[in-house]
Amino acid sequence: MRHEWLIPAAATLLAPVCDVTYAAVYFTTEAAQRAAFPDATAFEEVLIAPEVKSAISRDAGRFTVEPRIWRVRAGDSSIGWFMLDEVIGKVELITYGLALDTNGAVKSLEVLAYRESHGDAIRLPAWRAQFVGKRPDDPVRLDADIRNISGATLSCRHVTEGVHRLLLIYAKVLAHG
Amino acid sequence: MTRDSALASPHRRRPSTLRRMRLLASLVAAIASPLAAADEASLQAEIADLRAQIEQLRSQLKELATQRGAAPAAQAAAPAPAAGTSAPATAPQPDLAQRVDRLERTVSAQAEEQSATTLFSYGEIAYSRPVHDSSQTTADLARAVLGWSHRFDERTRMAAELELEHAVSSADDKGEVEIEQFYAERQFTDNVGGRAGLFLIPIGFLNEHHEPTQYYGVFRNFVETSIIPTTWREGGVAVYGGTEWGLNWNVGLTTGFNLANWDPSSQEGRDSPLGSIHQELSLAAAKDLSGYVSVNYVGVPGWTLGGTYFTGKAGQGVPDFPAQDARVTLWEAHARWQPGPFDFAALYSRGTISDTQALNLTFIGQPTPVPQLFFGGYVQAAWRNIWAYNDYSLTPFTRYEWVNTAAAYASVPQGLGVPTTPTEQIWTIGANFYVTPSIVFKADYQQFRIDSSKNSLQVGFGLSF
Repeated sequence: MRHEWLIPAAATLLAPVCDVTYAAVYFTTEAAQRAAFPDATAFEEVLIAPEVKSAISRDAGRFTVEPRIWRVRAGDSSIGWFMLDEVIGKVELITYGLALDTNGAVKSLEVLAYRESHGDAIRLPAWRAQFVGKRPDDPVRLDADIRNISGATLSCRHVTEGVHRLLLIYAKVLAHG
Repeated sequence: MTRDSALASPHRRRPSTLRRMRLLASLVAAIASPLAAADEASLQAEIADLRAQIEQLRSQLKELATQRGAAPAAQAAAPAPAAGTSAPATAPQPDLAQRVDRLERTVSAQAEEQSATTLFSYGEIAYSRPVHDSSQTTADLARAVLGWSHRFDERTRMAAELELEHAVSSADDKGEVEIEQFYAERQFTDNVGGRAGLFLIPIGFLNEHHEPTQYYGVFRNFVETSIIPTTWREGGVAVYGGTEWGLNWNVGLTTGFNLANWDPSSQEGRDSPLGSIHQELSLAAAKDLSGYVSVNYVGVPGWTLGGTYFTGKAGQGVPDFPAQDARVTLWEAHARWQPGPFDFAALYSRGTISDTQALNLTFIGQPTPVPQLFFGGYVQAAWRNIWAYNDYSLTPFTRYEWVNTAAAYASVPQGLGVPTTPTEQIWTIGANFYVTPSIVFKADYQQFRIDSSKNSLQVGFGLSF
């Protein structure tokens, strides 16, 4: 019992543990909306009919929660869509926001809240950047056009499936609105 | 469905009187008998329905207030009604708006409460048939695990797993009941968290991610069972975190091994040196604590590079024990590359137990003295979803392992020691067939280079949720 104490002691010194924040929630919805669309002047929430979501669920898996969707405006112009959804990582909910441009291509994916200690590597910019530019007609499937993170497989899979479902909402409804 | 019925905005739709009446009636009914016992799906549907109604009412309240010249300040985001629903015929009263708000808070609170505690489970069944001696064929419910977690707040949660191995645990059976994990953890900052309790050591690929759907083959690989004693857990505290560029780290101070538990007459120490002296926080001797540090780089999607170093003394102050200064050290390094459907992995692990000479002298004549050195490694390749149809998918794989659980012993007088074991080499080839990502059937064949009597065909079934 000579050296073992050094390991956590060094970590305690190195870790900025005094900087206590509301950790698992990284963004509020409003902050994520503003980050994705800094030029927006209004976010108008729209509701999707249950029949649409039921149809998507049959093809692409069940929604964990009711996704929320906003049409983003800059003045009188529509400049895109912001979607807020939650999926289960392993046992806890992951809250994420998806920003689409007016053509339905992904502008950004942001993780607003991650509530488990394993699998939070999906927050890494490099992993989220894989979704940028994806459109509803892309596969958006783990191990196909989205790469996995070993040790975070369930989170990667479920967020990828969630994004796929949201893109289908765009294709079925928003693209025509 | 027309597109207008699928997506509606407040500027498009003027609900009919009848629909408004219907909406009010359904809202009153919801308030009168809120959220009767229901499964999660129906509760979610009910919450969604109520939220849609609430949003509608808010929109209509605002509209009516505007008409009366008493509009609240305009908001940037105007809520919209759902398709197929509509607004009340008469102006809602202010107390109704309050009730709507109250209902919304109630629904949100109940939804939050529902999701705070979660059950999860996994388990696996294996059938193993040695090709040269079918009398040794076995079928076993290797493990069934029930886990639960509870989130105290957004930063703090606990998790636990209760495991039953080999289906039956009694005085006459080989089964075991064990608590595999029992810990609480708290996120201190965006990037730093801490954990205390009984938890899995973050080492290798399998120890923390050992559900049957997460690995290839009917049984866990030999390296991560014989050298790394998966599922290896210790009691203690840990601090962990990550950087924005993908370096995850985890350090801990934990209980360790108890070398006094070594049984030189048993095969167990030959099968897994550390597996035979782990304590699993069951009245664990804890005079000598251990420490570990683990790092993983995951900054490039598809890549994982990492390793773990664990060390601690294992004498535990047992009176008159001849290996008081014995130290167990185990390290491993691993790499994984998952380009598209392919999955390549490699891992190497090496362990030592020091100062065992005096102890092994007391074991003269016994078949299993304490090894000084043990090691193993593997390389593995899989082609994920080589065939897929709906949720069904097939993933063939192959793995080559080399393992030595007693590569060296501390020196003893000539003629009194036992020979070291040769390095066994094992080829495994097989496939995982996923019915869904949570249910898997497996089949493989294993061939041993040295002890060919172990060559066997295996099939298995596992699930995890």
